[in-house]
Amino acid sequence: MADTGRLRSTAVGAPGWVSPVTLLRVVIILTFLAVWEFLSHSGWLYRDVVPSLVRIAAALVDLLTHGEYYFNLGVTAAEIGLALAIGGSLGIVVGIVLGANRFLTKAYEPYLYYLGPTPKIIFFPIIIMWCGVGPESKVALGALSCFFPLALSVAAGMRQIDKVLIRVGKSFRANSWQMVMKIYLPAMRHPLINGVRLGFGFALIGTLLAETKLSNMGIGFLIINAYSTFDMPRMYAMLIVLFVLSIGANALIGRLGGIESIKRR
Amino acid sequence: MSAPAADAQLNDPVLSVDKVSVRFETREGPVVAVDDVSFGVRQGEFLSVIGPSGCGKSTLFNVIGGLLTQHQGTVSVAGETIDGPHKSIGMVFQEESTFPWRTVTDNVAFPLELVGMAKAERVERARHFIKLVGLDGFDNRHPGELSGGMRQRVSLARTLASKPKILLMDEPFAALDEQTRLLLGDKVLQIQQEIQQTTLLITHNITEAVQMSDRILVMTYRPGRVKRIVDIDLPRPRTSEIVSSEAFGRYVAQIWADLREEASRGMREAEDQVLHHQGAES
Ligand SMILES: Nc1ncnc2c1ncn2[C@@H]1O[C@H](COP(=O)(O)OP(=O)(O)OP(=O)(O)O)[C@@H](O)[C@H]1O
Ligand SMILES: [Mg+2]
Repeated sequence: MADTGRLRSTAVGAPGWVSPVTLLRVVIILTFLAVWEFLSHSGWLYRDVVPSLVRIAAALVDLLTHGEYYFNLGVTAAEIGLALAIGGSLGIVVGIVLGANRFLTKAYEPYLYYLGPTPKIIFFPIIIMWCGVGPESKVALGALSCFFPLALSVAAGMRQIDKVLIRVGKSFRANSWQMVMKIYLPAMRHPLINGVRLGFGFALIGTLLAETKLSNMGIGFLIINAYSTFDMPRMYAMLIVLFVLSIGANALIGRLGGIESIKRR
Repeated sequence: MSAPAADAQLNDPVLSVDKVSVRFETREGPVVAVDDVSFGVRQGEFLSVIGPSGCGKSTLFNVIGGLLTQHQGTVSVAGETIDGPHKSIGMVFQEESTFPWRTVTDNVAFPLELVGMAKAERVERARHFIKLVGLDGFDNRHPGELSGGMRQRVSLARTLASKPKILLMDEPFAALDEQTRLLLGDKVLQIQQEIQQTTLLITHNITEAVQMSDRILVMTYRPGRVKRIVDIDLPRPRTSEIVSSEAFGRYVAQIWADLREEASRGMREAEDQVLHHQGAES
């Protein structure tokens, strides 16, 4: 108690110091690592379920110095990118059409709401039959996964657009393409960027999940491969890299949304 | 008076509204918002439509602008019946209508962008109209950084930049305070006199209407009909100073008498409706 009080007062007194929140985070991480290391040496758990940090680090170095890993990373990144591009643009188009048309909304939006939260992995067997076991089926599942959140958030974004702006566009005789490019999309830039962020997450999950199910390349494949050969340090090393990369990608999309000219309201 | 032929041409309306009626289906049954309204606007004329709140002015505005198509009767521009937004008509809306993500210049250049005008040319044209509405120096600001009156001027400049033959405005100054309103009114008068803009102004402000108009159309309350069309025979050019003249006062009194009847009828009906509802509920 006394300790935390002193920490806070020093932090407030000297702004150059590390803030209490950051300090707490560091403490949590260090504690976690310490417990991990302790468990790995304790022998309480079955061999290698919790490998030593040193061995994970070694595996990480081994991973990052071999070309094979980068090849598979590239495959997965390409799959996710394609999935987001295909599923995302379809989602945006469907969202705009639904949002612009009350009749279609009534007819079709319930399906989106029911299908949206369904785990898309249940369609994987069908996708395999259509697209085979190669990267195509991973792209398909990733695209399917990110289609729904994007379509729904774009449709909702469309309905939030100030109606008078649409009337301004019509009064100046903008055609449909101009309405979409110069009014709908910029007017819903905030929900749109949020949707893309959400869609990216779903594309990532869908693609990786598909790779772990049935595949012969990609990060998901490597991870599940390491798991089945019980190479735990390697598996953890890959999880760490994946974690860091997805945080980075998410931050990048967030930055895109933070650009001054887009943010203006 | 000049030769009869030229005279006839001059008096030919550029905009004519012929027996226009609009009916809305609401939960409480059908509402006749506009009922059998006919009138014309001549080349270079400034005509105001005045009426109490809820009498169907905005509805009429949307019909003339081509944004509301389920109506009876016809609206024609230079003899051509319209069936959607017409290229000769430029609209300024009652609501806040600037694009928040565009700078003032890009807002004003919007209609020029739509017709594919080259960038340099449209920026130059936009600059001209930004100056005309007195927003010089704000070219690169975003609407969020401007006051409400300034934003309304941006909307006006945007519509003027498209150089419409007929300018159609729906209470463009309604949301503004009295001083800004007077100043902007002066601006509109000045622009109107400078470029001989044919204008149809919708308003419920009598002073504004008398100050600016050549003619004033007074509407009745529910159903919205033409009650009277008054010629305003005041000398031009006018400024807001004309407000203190005696003739001005007479016009205002005359139109106020017409309007008071309608406005109080409107209030009474609204009250009756409320009382009726309360009675039904208890
Ligand atoms: N889309 C609509 N559906 C049903 N009723 C409507 C609709 N639009 C307008 N009305 C009704 O039509 C009547 C006229 O409305 P309108 O907006 O034209 O009035 P206004 O004269 O512009 O009023 P104000 O001066 O307050 O702007 C009102 O009674 C309104 O309730
Ligand atoms: Mg109105």
